[in-house]
Amino acid sequence: MNQNTSFKRYLKMDLLPTPWCPGCGNGIVLKTICQAFDELNLPKNGTVVVSGIGCSGRSAGYFDLDSVHTAHGRAIPVAEGIKYAIDALNVIVASGDGDLLGIGGNHLLHAIRRNTNITVVCYANETYGMTGGQVSPTTPHNIKTLTTPNGNPDYPLDVQFLFKHSGCYFARSTVYHLNHLKKCIVEALKFQGFSFVEARTMCIVNYGRRLGYKNSNEMLLHYKEFYKINDDAGELAPNEIGIIKTNTLIKS
Amino acid sequence: MPKQLLQGNQAIALAAEVAGLKFFAGYPITPASEIIHELVNKKHIKTLQMEDEIASINAVMGASLAGVKAMTATSGPGFSLMQESIGHAHMMEVPIVIVNVQRVGPSTGMPTLPAQGDVIQCIHGSHGDYFPIVFYPNSVAELYQYTIAAFNAAEESLSPVILLSDGYISHLYETITPHRDFEIKHRTSPPLGASNRHFTGLSHEGSIPKTSDIDNYRRLISRFQEKQQLTAQRYNYYEYLECGKETDILLISYGALSRVAYYFKNDFSLYRPIRMFPVVEEIKIIAPKYKRIIMMEMNTGQYVREIERLLRREIEFIPILGGRIDLQEIKQKLREEK
Repeated sequence: MNQNTSFKRYLKMDLLPTPWCPGCGNGIVLKTICQAFDELNLPKNGTVVVSGIGCSGRSAGYFDLDSVHTAHGRAIPVAEGIKYAIDALNVIVASGDGDLLGIGGNHLLHAIRRNTNITVVCYANETYGMTGGQVSPTTPHNIKTLTTPNGNPDYPLDVQFLFKHSGCYFARSTVYHLNHLKKCIVEALKFQGFSFVEARTMCIVNYGRRLGYKNSNEMLLHYKEFYKINDDAGELAPNEIGIIKTNTLIKS
Repeated sequence: MPKQLLQGNQAIALAAEVAGLKFFAGYPITPASEIIHELVNKKHIKTLQMEDEIASINAVMGASLAGVKAMTATSGPGFSLMQESIGHAHMMEVPIVIVNVQRVGPSTGMPTLPAQGDVIQCIHGSHGDYFPIVFYPNSVAELYQYTIAAFNAAEESLSPVILLSDGYISHLYETITPHRDFEIKHRTSPPLGASNRHFTGLSHEGSIPKTSDIDNYRRLISRFQEKQQLTAQRYNYYEYLECGKETDILLISYGALSRVAYYFKNDFSLYRPIRMFPVVEEIKIIAPKYKRIIMMEMNTGQYVREIERLLRREIEFIPILGGRIDLQEIKQKLREEK
């Protein structure tokens, strides 16, 4: 097992532990982002992390970098403002699915359209965990949450389709597939243009336990069994994870 | 310095450039759009048309944190959308300039007509307590002058500063001499990417979020309040015209409406706040000389409450609604007051 701990230089270790519940997957995403930084040896001076609101929104404060904790849903426009002002900065957004796809969804659409050269890592845990477990943009159909006691009547947003013909980068991975997740983030950071990594992560306390999972390990094992890696696809099936480098926009 | 015939909004754009503007993000809206039209042609200013005003102010905050002077411009509906982020910018101490060219509201209202309905929204539009510095000029030359002051006050206070205008003065053409010999304040805090600071809208102590430390929160808010008062003292702008004749009436107005008030300078003494907030305290010295104070605003009585609260006395109020500034109508109303 690789015991390389040099990724820790990107973390404010003295602030740990994080405020996240035992069994939460967010810490795995946080660590994997740092490992991706480490692999690319991103300079600490010149790298900025931006997050929005929610459980995962708190992650920005744990990076040993300049970081911004924006208003709910506004991580992407703040990140774009930083990038367009000072192009030399590496700008990374780390936030949740409710933040990026729900309240901030419009900004995502237009960041894709502008193809702003920033990287977004979306902690997609299928719920609004911080507020107790309400339905979120990635909650599957029929799932019961606090606000959908009879099951989610709607279908989840399949983010990859927002990226069709955009010329941007899209990848999906999970916190079980650590090496794959890291590869997705590394490739995203290397990508010149807008890149988005949907990191499937688990919320046991306010979501999984209501679905019958006994602990977060069971949720992890579900990722292991359910998801198959397919890095060559032009489109991912619901049970596939992988990288899509979308075609550039067909200009009319 | 040659004279120039400029529209109010053009003067704002030109002054912003002189003040060192490097980044502008905005969304089209009447009657503020000419500001971005003007700025897109400036080489050293990055301009972005965003998807909405929320994105605009957030991009401006990001750019400012990245170390460049940044501004957005809008009108009432967009200003309403920006409110959450204005409070956020106060909490994170981000220096930005927000121009609000007011039009008739509420809602879509009468977009092409001027109003002064956003005065209280400037200080209470966002949730929680914050203490913004707000300027409201009344001519093209003043829009130029106070745009520069707004940038300087933003840098000094590390907070968003609001420049109020209205559809009337922003669309007015006047000849001005755009001086460039103003003192320009530069950024004192280091740009993003230089350290390991954390900027957050949570209550905080330095870079550390403190979500349940009540004493720390109280210290934070009183520091903000003191900081804003201290900065404001250096921008103590108002206009007081004592009547040549004996009079016991003081007429207060501001913005577009105050231009009409000049017509009555031989009948009443005139007072005009230019720094709207924090309220200029000099009125406390001026007011006791007059038995009666009459105030006119293009709203149903927003700033009059602020003045009344400060003076602890009653003020006769004349609302001028719907964007029509008609001298005969105002004369008539003043006669009724008399």
